[in-house]
Amino acid sequence: MAYLDHAATSPLCIEAREAMAPYLEQRFGNASEPHAYGREARAGLEGARDTVAALLGCRPQQLVFTSGGSEADNQAVFGLTGRPLGRMVLSTIEHSAVLAPARELERQGFELGWAPVTRDGVVDVAAFAELVRPGDRLAAAMWANNVTGAVQPIAELAAICADREVPLHVDAVQAAASLQLDFAACGAETLALSAHKMHGPKGVGALVARDPARIRPLIWGGGQEGGLRSGTENVAGIVGFAAALTAMRSRGDHRRELRDRMEAALPEFAAVSAGVERLPGHSLLQVPGIRADLLVLALDRAGYAVSAGSACASGDSEPSHVLIAQGMAAADARSVVRVSIGVDSTVADVDGFCAALRECVDRLRSGALI
Amino acid sequence: MYSDAVTRHALDLSRAGSAGEHAVHGEAGDAVCGDQLRIEIAIERGRIVRARHRSFACPHATAAAALACRLTEGSELLDAACIGASRLDQELGPGPHNRECVALAADALHAAIARGLEGEALDVDPHRIAVAMSGGVDSAVALLKAVEAGLRPVGVTLRLWIDPLASDSERACCSPQSVRAARSACHAAGVPHVTLDLRGRFRDQIVEPFVRDHAAGRTPNPCVRCNGSFRFDALAGFADRIGAERIATGHYARVVEREGRHLIARGADPDKDQSYMLARVPEQIVRRVWFPLGDQCKQLTRRQAGAAGLAAANRAESQEVCFVGGGDHRSFVERHGGAGRAGAIVSVDGRELGRHDGVHRFTPGQRRGLNVGGGAALFVVSTDAATGTVVAGPRAALARREVRVSPGQLLVPIERVQAKLRYRSPAMAASVRIERDGFVLDLDEPAYGVAPGQAAVLYDGDTVVGAGLIAL
Repeated sequence: MAYLDHAATSPLCIEAREAMAPYLEQRFGNASEPHAYGREARAGLEGARDTVAALLGCRPQQLVFTSGGSEADNQAVFGLTGRPLGRMVLSTIEHSAVLAPARELERQGFELGWAPVTRDGVVDVAAFAELVRPGDRLAAAMWANNVTGAVQPIAELAAICADREVPLHVDAVQAAASLQLDFAACGAETLALSAHKMHGPKGVGALVARDPARIRPLIWGGGQEGGLRSGTENVAGIVGFAAALTAMRSRGDHRRELRDRMEAALPEFAAVSAGVERLPGHSLLQVPGIRADLLVLALDRAGYAVSAGSACASGDSEPSHVLIAQGMAAADARSVVRVSIGVDSTVADVDGFCAALRECVDRLRSGALI
Repeated sequence: MYSDAVTRHALDLSRAGSAGEHAVHGEAGDAVCGDQLRIEIAIERGRIVRARHRSFACPHATAAAALACRLTEGSELLDAACIGASRLDQELGPGPHNRECVALAADALHAAIARGLEGEALDVDPHRIAVAMSGGVDSAVALLKAVEAGLRPVGVTLRLWIDPLASDSERACCSPQSVRAARSACHAAGVPHVTLDLRGRFRDQIVEPFVRDHAAGRTPNPCVRCNGSFRFDALAGFADRIGAERIATGHYARVVEREGRHLIARGADPDKDQSYMLARVPEQIVRRVWFPLGDQCKQLTRRQAGAAGLAAANRAESQEVCFVGGGDHRSFVERHGGAGRAGAIVSVDGRELGRHDGVHRFTPGQRRGLNVGGGAALFVVSTDAATGTVVAGPRAALARREVRVSPGQLLVPIERVQAKLRYRSPAMAASVRIERDGFVLDLDEPAYGVAPGQAAVLYDGDTVVGAGLIAL
């Protein structure tokens, strides 16, 4: 039995759980209250903010905690656009938490410019430079893709945006579990993060904003988080987020070795985007002729949890828009399994998976049409 | 997310693969979801001895195909034809997208069963009756009546045509939706259902002649031709293969016996009477036919469908010419390469009145589309496909008393008849005499707008006593 779907979510690490425990119990106070309970919660919250800010290379005031990555993406897209109508540029491989808000803007009258990707699934920098124009309200590009793991040229894209004075939103939800992100250095206007991808709790994430005053809130109310994100703070979650991020930064990491070992052992299943830099534990294997959604069920029965591409539209047989965008045929895009190795994964997990994948594919082959 | 049953059947590979060299197969696919399924069945003496599936499809569709094989292996073909989407759904449970997935598996299974039956000659069962099912309310009630009469019906749907360019192709009588509706109407009644895919033959024998006739300046009636030489032939051939003597359809018409002969007669509902369309069904088939709705009106049919809770109770009427779609045969003919020549519109005395852009757009008696204003109202008198000429004249110029019908046939010796020269025109009193391979009508009163290619149907009272094609 092995869990190899860390790109979907990851188990809560012990550091996060221990850090959170007091805030789920005796330190339950509302961080907006001046009494001892409130002050205790406030101290936990601000301590976590300082920790996260330090690790991400931003000032604490630039950090807005949210309910997760999707909220952070929505907050950035809607918070930096709105009226008057204008134009937004985004890559064709964005996560649906960016795509869907952009589509909503389009419905309201925005113009969208779609930045294409290469066959390796990396944003085409020259095309992006052509596309982004002074006066555009927003550009969006993800740091690393959640389907292929392909790492995007964020520094170059940010430089292009800076040149045209267009704010760049970067969805770093998938990247943050593996890469040492530095907000100040990356040149983005905003950055979206999620705790549960990095062994933190679900239901908490963050938006880092160069200038939070530029952003119009999505959620209005008691004015928490500098007025940008009303609602009583999820102190336990935020403390867990900080603890998980801290733990991840100090942890030994064998993901790349394990991933490379697996891919070397499975030469018959070519990995998508293998020619470019990918997240270290990430591998999208092609299994021609076999439907990924069926293969995932078979592997589950064999004791291995992997994904058919992304976990966002479960039960849906739509091929991933990311793979279509990088030029894959629809049938091929339905024949991929995403293996995402975690920091706790072992050689035995990976070797066992290789054997199980072979066996499942061989069995399913008898029922395959192509 | 998938139910346990879906996962179990999707991963059940015990019937994955091929059913062998002599197996027949059915395939189904959905361009939108990318699913493709293939079911193969090996048949021995009317029984499915092996059923196998292969797919490139979602787990739900794959599970449905595996389950279809499990349920039908070992069954008689006609018992297997009782299994459809609802039976598969029962076992698999609902899923967010399951309707289409499961229907695909049922489509593949039924395509295989239909192929399998092509090579069979099942034992004759005197209570078995083939019931033509269109997916609409009439055939659904006809089936109900066959069940109520204590017969063992087998539903059969002819897949004749799908014109994706027609405005209402989804609703047309041969659409996949209609086939599925017909199948589920049968299965709801516990009746086997078979779909015969006759699209190739239908195109060759009905659609292409229709287009050619239009291009040649005639005004064909494809329904009369289809019923007369295609649809009922196919039904009778199917009935033979499944060991059924009789055939039922939901037409509003009756069969009467006269001097030992079986003749088509008008249905009791004057608004729905379809005897004209059935006039050329060969007698050896007419004698096998039962029209359960012949003695009732459409309103009663709808009430009966409603009372029985039939899904088809409120389905919209299908159009008259099933394959044209959208009601515009001119654009159909143009799409299918039958556009006639452009040419002159001339008066009866040869003066050019204007131009038109295709002779197939005109039929005698037509008033619209001439666009030659001024003066008295003008009608199409005749068309000449060879020169592209359309002759237009006043209504009086349309008057005809003599109508030549060839080929044509009188079914009983008769001299005085009521002649119907178009589906929607009233019958006219006429004398009839046999001539060469047809007959000549002398109408008591002149007819206006007699069109070559249309069917002339002769009645004696309510009984069809002759029919043929108007030659002029």
